[in-house]
Amino acid sequence: MEEKEFIQNLLNPKTQNVAFQKLLLDYQRPLYNHIRNIVLSHDDTDDVLQNTFVKVFQNLKNFKGESKLFSWMYRIATNEAITFINKKAKQNGTTSEIVKVKIIGNLEADSHFDGDEIQIKLQKAIVNLPEKQQLVFKMRYFEEIKYEEMSTILGTSVGALKASYHHAVKKIEIFMIKD
Amino acid sequence: MNDFKINSDHKIESGFKIPEDYFENFSEKVLLRINKPEPKVVSIFYRRKTWISSVAAILVISLSVTLYTKIAVKSSEEKLTLENYITNQSEISQYDLVALLDAKDIEKIKIDLKLDNKKIEEKLTNSSDIENYLTE
Repeated sequence: MEEKEFIQNLLNPKTQNVAFQKLLLDYQRPLYNHIRNIVLSHDDTDDVLQNTFVKVFQNLKNFKGESKLFSWMYRIATNEAITFINKKAKQNGTTSEIVKVKIIGNLEADSHFDGDEIQIKLQKAIVNLPEKQQLVFKMRYFEEIKYEEMSTILGTSVGALKASYHHAVKKIEIFMIKD
Repeated sequence: MNDFKINSDHKIESGFKIPEDYFENFSEKVLLRINKPEPKVVSIFYRRKTWISSVAAILVISLSVTLYTKIAVKSSEEKLTLENYITNQSEISQYDLVALLDAKDIEKIKIDLKLDNKKIEEKLTNSSDIENYLTE
């Protein structure tokens, strides 16, 4: 099905329910992974993922079709996740960086994390990166999103994204060989 | 290990686990939220504020209406008694009343008499008492 046709189905009250169900099934897993990589805890991801789909549904009528549905939804999910973690930090009177460092420091105790030592070390390496490099690295390395698509989601040029990823990899590799 | 190449070594997964049955009822949760629009949150404080201001408005309106009618009645009654007093009281002479007038009041009661010489002459010649005036 063409994307235009699918969007029409999403907007038409008669076909809306079926179309939205399909949207949910297609996107719930990739968006879950994307949000989880930002907010880190499963429970918070559940909140943000629900909010994302509710927001997507509410804003369907404003979706102009100028960008792809994929990048539009990823953009909403990214904004929701970043807003969520900032709000959480504010409530605790701290910064989003500290909130994330705390969660990563507690990964062994997280029942929804089953990574080994290397995986924990990689998470620790990532959390030490500047905000933008963290996001770019996770989207490229874990989620395998193409630079061109990432560019439409984040509104950053492909060149800048590649540079961010390169810097991130260099820092991570140095971190990984440290004790 | 002296070297670590993140892109050449086997890929490291994030390690984040999703609860097994999580996606089984996820779409239901979302659809439930979409079909049941969240009620608008109106804080108690805001509600109380409108309640208080409406009561205050009613009080102000009712008070002002009763006060106004009372005052209006009173003032018209007062005017009438004053007028009756002045007209019926023989002790108050015209001079007393005149003494109470100030410059503005006098200005108000001034009547502009446009008398020209011709009219005065006419009046005088027609009047039979002219001789008396002249001799006086």
